[in-house]
Amino acid sequence: MSGPLIFIWGAVAILGLLVWKREGVPGLRAGSVSALNIGRTLMLRLPLALLAASFLALIIPLEHLSRFIGPESGVLGITLAALVGGLLPGGPMASFPIAIVFMNSGAGVPQMVALIGGWSVFALHRLLAYEAPIMGWRFIALRLGSSMVLPVIAGLIADLLLGLRA
Amino acid sequence: MKIAGTDLVFLALATVTGTIAYVRLGPDAVLAAMLEAGSLLVLILPQLAAGLLIGGLVTRLVSKDQVARWLGGSSGLMGLAIASLAGLLTPGGPFTSFPMVYALWIAGADAGALIAFITAWSLLGFNRLIIWELPLLGLEFSVIRYLACLPLPILAGLIARWLVRWPAFRLRDPDEAQE
Repeated sequence: MSGPLIFIWGAVAILGLLVWKREGVPGLRAGSVSALNIGRTLMLRLPLALLAASFLALIIPLEHLSRFIGPESGVLGITLAALVGGLLPGGPMASFPIAIVFMNSGAGVPQMVALIGGWSVFALHRLLAYEAPIMGWRFIALRLGSSMVLPVIAGLIADLLLGLRA
Repeated sequence: MKIAGTDLVFLALATVTGTIAYVRLGPDAVLAAMLEAGSLLVLILPQLAAGLLIGGLVTRLVSKDQVARWLGGSSGLMGLAIASLAGLLTPGGPFTSFPMVYALWIAGADAGALIAFITAWSLLGFNRLIIWELPLLGLEFSVIRYLACLPLPILAGLIARWLVRWPAFRLRDPDEAQE
């Protein structure tokens, strides 16, 4: 966890230096003020959003679905897997362990690709906790509209790749 | 502090889901979920702060014209490719990437570029691949998954540019959107 943290704060330091060289202290102040303004709007909704996401993870049981997304389940299974992926709770530390449960209980590879793809793209948890507070609902509508078909396409491409290899 | 509609949505959501969890799983589970959310908040705050600062500083460094030229509505496929590459290279979790999307938005990137950026970050980001996917799901699966997802961010960007013809999908000005 601390590696990425050092990296991003390093980026902050470098950008800060660049701004300071070009605009001096007023530039740094203007940059911080705009950061602070967004921070203020997040102050209340971010904790609430994290709380809601955490409760949601508790009340949606998903593990029972693995028998519907086996290797023989085809496009329907790929679509279902993409949806299940989107509902997986939490960040990678919560959802990858569940993905392993699916994999070990007989999900097909294209279906698993769609599941991980669905988790990456839909990510109900991330949507609630970060995207809505920062970007607003319209952006979410646009993003969901644009990426609705992606996990299914990923599953189909994976199916194709497996076919090529065999 | 002013309380906006979005805050109330989250308040309602937390209350409803919390109540359901309480009824079905009891007070211990609810307490555990609250503790988890609290520790997550503590964990992400330093990264969120960095993400917001990066966003604020970047807007001082690049002019609206530059961003519009590279990532604006008329940047074509090249703009989507650049945005995808930037998203793929962006490290960290959503608390870093979304402030950057926001910064790009303020700076004049169009809907297609924003969508390509965040889709590339979420599908192709190295961070998660190396830390989670490779060790937990194995090399073979990860390679197939990655290859299958490679063309998708640009596709998503194209779909987004097509969708914004309809008013429901059109992004508002970033300044009015933060209400």
